[in-house]
Amino acid sequence: MTTAGKRARYVLKRLAQAIPIVLAIVILNFLLLQLAEGDAVDVLAGEAGSATPEYMAELRAKFGLDQPIHVQLARYLWNVVQLDLGYSFRHEMPVSELIVDRVFATGLLMVATILLAVGFGILLGLLAAVGLNTWRDTAISIFALITYATPLFWVGLMLIVVFSLNLGWFPTSGMENVAMFYEGWDRVFNIAHHLVLPTITLSLFYLALYTRLMRASMLEQAGQDYVTTARAKGLTERRIVFVHVLRNALLPVVTMAGVQVGALIGGSVIVESVFAWPGLGMLAFEALFARDLNLLLGIFLLSAVLVVAVNLVVDIIYSMLDPRIEVG
Amino acid sequence: MTIRTWLATGLAASFLAFAGPAAQAQTAGGTFVYIVQPEPPSLASYLSTSGPIGLVAPKIYDGLFDYDNDLNIVPSLAESYEVSEDGKTVTFNLRQGVKWHDGEDFTSEDVQFTVMEVLKKVHPRGPNTFREVTNIDTPDDFTAVFNLANPAPYMLRGLSGYESPIVPKHLLEGQDPRTADLANNPVGTGAYKFVEWRKGQFVRLDKNENYWREGLPYLDRVVGRFIPDASTRTAAMESEEVMYGAYGAIPNIDAVRLKDLDYIDVTTEGYSMINPMALIEFDTTDGPFADEAIRKAISLALDRSFLIENIWFGYGNPASSALSSNFDPVGLYKSGMPNYAPNADIEAAKAILTEAGYDPSGTVATAVLDLIPYGEDWRRAGEYMKQALGEIGVEVELRYEDVPTWLKRVYADYDFEMNVNFFYQLPDPVLGVHRHYGTDQIRQGTHFVNSSRYSNPELDALLAAGAQEPDAAERSAIYAQIQEILADDMPVVNLFEMEFLTVFNTKLKDHATSALGAYGPMERVWIEE
Amino acid sequence: MTGFWGRFARNRQAVLGLGILAVVGLIAATAHLFFPEDPFSLAGRSMSPPGANGFLLGSDSLGRDVAAGIAHGAKTSLLIGLVATIVAVCIGVIMGALAGYYGGWIDDVLMRTTEMFQTIPSFIFAILLVAIMKPSIESIIIAIAVVSWPAVARLVRGEFLSLRNREFVQACHTVGMSDVRIMLGEILPNCLSPIIVIGSLMVATAILIESGLAFLGLGDPNIMSWGFQIGAGRTLLRSAWWVCTFPGIAILLTVLAINLVGEGLNDALNPRLRERS
Repeated sequence: MTTAGKRARYVLKRLAQAIPIVLAIVILNFLLLQLAEGDAVDVLAGEAGSATPEYMAELRAKFGLDQPIHVQLARYLWNVVQLDLGYSFRHEMPVSELIVDRVFATGLLMVATILLAVGFGILLGLLAAVGLNTWRDTAISIFALITYATPLFWVGLMLIVVFSLNLGWFPTSGMENVAMFYEGWDRVFNIAHHLVLPTITLSLFYLALYTRLMRASMLEQAGQDYVTTARAKGLTERRIVFVHVLRNALLPVVTMAGVQVGALIGGSVIVESVFAWPGLGMLAFEALFARDLNLLLGIFLLSAVLVVAVNLVVDIIYSMLDPRIEVG
Repeated sequence: MTIRTWLATGLAASFLAFAGPAAQAQTAGGTFVYIVQPEPPSLASYLSTSGPIGLVAPKIYDGLFDYDNDLNIVPSLAESYEVSEDGKTVTFNLRQGVKWHDGEDFTSEDVQFTVMEVLKKVHPRGPNTFREVTNIDTPDDFTAVFNLANPAPYMLRGLSGYESPIVPKHLLEGQDPRTADLANNPVGTGAYKFVEWRKGQFVRLDKNENYWREGLPYLDRVVGRFIPDASTRTAAMESEEVMYGAYGAIPNIDAVRLKDLDYIDVTTEGYSMINPMALIEFDTTDGPFADEAIRKAISLALDRSFLIENIWFGYGNPASSALSSNFDPVGLYKSGMPNYAPNADIEAAKAILTEAGYDPSGTVATAVLDLIPYGEDWRRAGEYMKQALGEIGVEVELRYEDVPTWLKRVYADYDFEMNVNFFYQLPDPVLGVHRHYGTDQIRQGTHFVNSSRYSNPELDALLAAGAQEPDAAERSAIYAQIQEILADDMPVVNLFEMEFLTVFNTKLKDHATSALGAYGPMERVWIEE
Repeated sequence: MTGFWGRFARNRQAVLGLGILAVVGLIAATAHLFFPEDPFSLAGRSMSPPGANGFLLGSDSLGRDVAAGIAHGAKTSLLIGLVATIVAVCIGVIMGALAGYYGGWIDDVLMRTTEMFQTIPSFIFAILLVAIMKPSIESIIIAIAVVSWPAVARLVRGEFLSLRNREFVQACHTVGMSDVRIMLGEILPNCLSPIIVIGSLMVATAILIESGLAFLGLGDPNIMSWGFQIGAGRTLLRSAWWVCTFPGIAILLTVLAINLVGEGLNDALNPRLRERS
């Protein structure tokens, strides 16, 4: 009971610490965006072909862009506090609706990528660590580094050329087949089918990180006292590696996966662009170039909240896995 | 005498033209998937002429007219029209029995409301197209009488479903059209009904079962897909996930390659309505380019054919005047203008500079060249120009910014020296060309007008005369003079008449039957089994 | 020092990496000798495949020499990587040192700031910074530095935290050394090795970020870099593969080499790992 109580207090404390950070991110980005030339009205009018200055002034008034900056900021923050992310100038829709539409796609890609990258990273890191300094270790390290160092879009386009055009195994782009509009399980399989190439592309980039982390972590653990103790107890090497070392070596990998969630939202822009995956990264990218202030801030806000939440969850998992806490 | 134009004959003729070479039985059904890029901001074609909106909205909204590939009028919501002898009254006889997608009847009230309350007020080009319209009478449900202050022959070219969509009065009345929900949930009279717009993915339209053209459309469904990356768009075309991509959706280099596949073809048809021209605008008020000699030298130093061959892969024609040669059939284009050549003439350029007192072997001018942020091709063009202009001593640095920054710099702040851009010249110079040169078009803060701030009273008088002259020969003479002045003053260096490409799957039939091409209603499109 | 080089030289991968880097550096340094022309100049027939028309690695759609671009681009890419890393390391060291040395509210403020920067999706943030400052080599360097420093700050803070209570630091205090001198002269040299390791890897990441920005159209249009070549060549990938494949390989090799060297440094500088291998 007391552990649970402690944990709840810990969670509350962390959340309290996170609020100023999230607000600071919003304010920082709000101010940065004020430095950008042009606004949403310029973009809308530019795309429209031609518009009178009077019309543009009316639009600015409608969006509240004619107000002084501190008034705009205060208004925005007041709305955020009331959990209202405002209205997208460009899409003429509430920001929250736009974001919710994309969260599913982004989440799908993120989870699939992390699972694939972490899964294979653990496997490869383990193989490398077990065969330390053999040809296998070298080959795995070099492979991981090459996947990391190859520009993402190049990998993506090559996968499209090979697997979509030459072999015809996977669709080139999009999230589902828009000629058929499948429903039920067929739709699930169809989306999964579309998910394969973007996931592989994105996870190749992160694979190197997890492989190296896993390898280093395994080596680190192998030198710990408890391993010596286990050996002294006469446990088999196999049992030591797969039960004791592996379990502890996973901790930093899990932590890293948590940290990566934030990076994934932004880092997937290129993959989303190449595969026309309707995620938050592309939405943010387009919002920036359309000066769709509310939308961009909403995405920053959401990703900040997400990072904070995931890190918190990771910390809790970590504290549950950590042998010292377990013993104590 | 009343000029009375019955469109029935024209209609029969155009039907023959359709049926002539491709006398096949159309198959009904199927889903037409095409590329819409970038994703449109909304579907309010009555508020914005933005390209991607044009790819979707005209399939939902009809205009009074449509136009065939030779720009002849084809009846749409207007079955016929009459122009009074003095040119100041235009009467449209509207089609009966047309219903909006929500089941309401379409009437002349809708036409009156659309033009007077929507297009004239909030459409970017509407105030210009309909500027002479003082009021519209609706003697009955199917007659709309436009009363004009002055004759406006060009107005009849601007009545397509893309340029002037007719919108439902009952869904907009009493609201500000700019904030109405119709923008994201369009209701029209067109061949396809709006169903769903999944942001970041696609917009879906289904067949309008009650469409007023009997037996049309053939397709069950039209889906516009958003694919941000150009290489992926090409791949999707190649894998037959999409069937059609227009307005440069497929880069020219890929189009040239895809053309060799037996299931893909390429056409330049369907763009006669927009008539695009690539060009360089200058700050003519200050800095090095206030001197017309340098501008003329630049026009001669740039190799227009090189740009077309190496960057646009053969699609386009070197500009030879301020007006596109597409105006030749209507007699407005004049050939043989000075200071225009298809290939670079460095010697002539240097001669002009030397005569004006510069030393072209040294540094004539240093400047920043802004590039229109609409894609890679323009960057390549800028990189080429930087090299080419270096040969006549004009040292430029390139600047490539994002759309809002660039628009603000060029049209609101006038903080530029030279700017690569392209303009739609549209089917009449009054609609597309005048805005670039008239003194009254120096409108700070308005995009795509006279940002060069070129002002010449003699030219202004000619522009005003050209807009109202009903006689074809007289008009032709006026525009010849206009072009001579512009070639001599060179406020804008016109580079080349652009040719957009439409790449399509050969299973797709009858998709280029309108002058508006991809911006057209596409009601006759069908897919071969 | 011999001990360090000896340990480093025993790691064949690291030596290989160093070799590749040396070659890249040499190419960058001699670019103007072998390719005296402006790499943007229209040198000949467009879209020549490698070997044809006097182009070793082919030419692009405007007839520019890909090999010349790679040679001149090496300079830019290395410059971006190095300068961005130096800037990031400087910021990170200052923030981390102050936070770790003084602790208390200074630590709180600085670390909350660091956390804030770590919470913003970094690639999007880099895009935002470049878009606001207009694409140029300076803005790209600044953007990369801004998204890279927090990792250094956290690392340095950790090191300072653990070192500040050591005897030798206490001794300095008793002698009356100033805080600045203690931080720079005494503690910093003792945590240089992890900084060098993380810095070397940041150079590689910076080069990758630059190419990613260029892919999205946010490169400097006036300076030849590998990112520029990739951005300009990507639409040609299917019809003239050499235009963006060779710069891609250049990036791959350089990033790979830097990582190998980084790992080599890590092994050579990190005593705990040394014992084991």
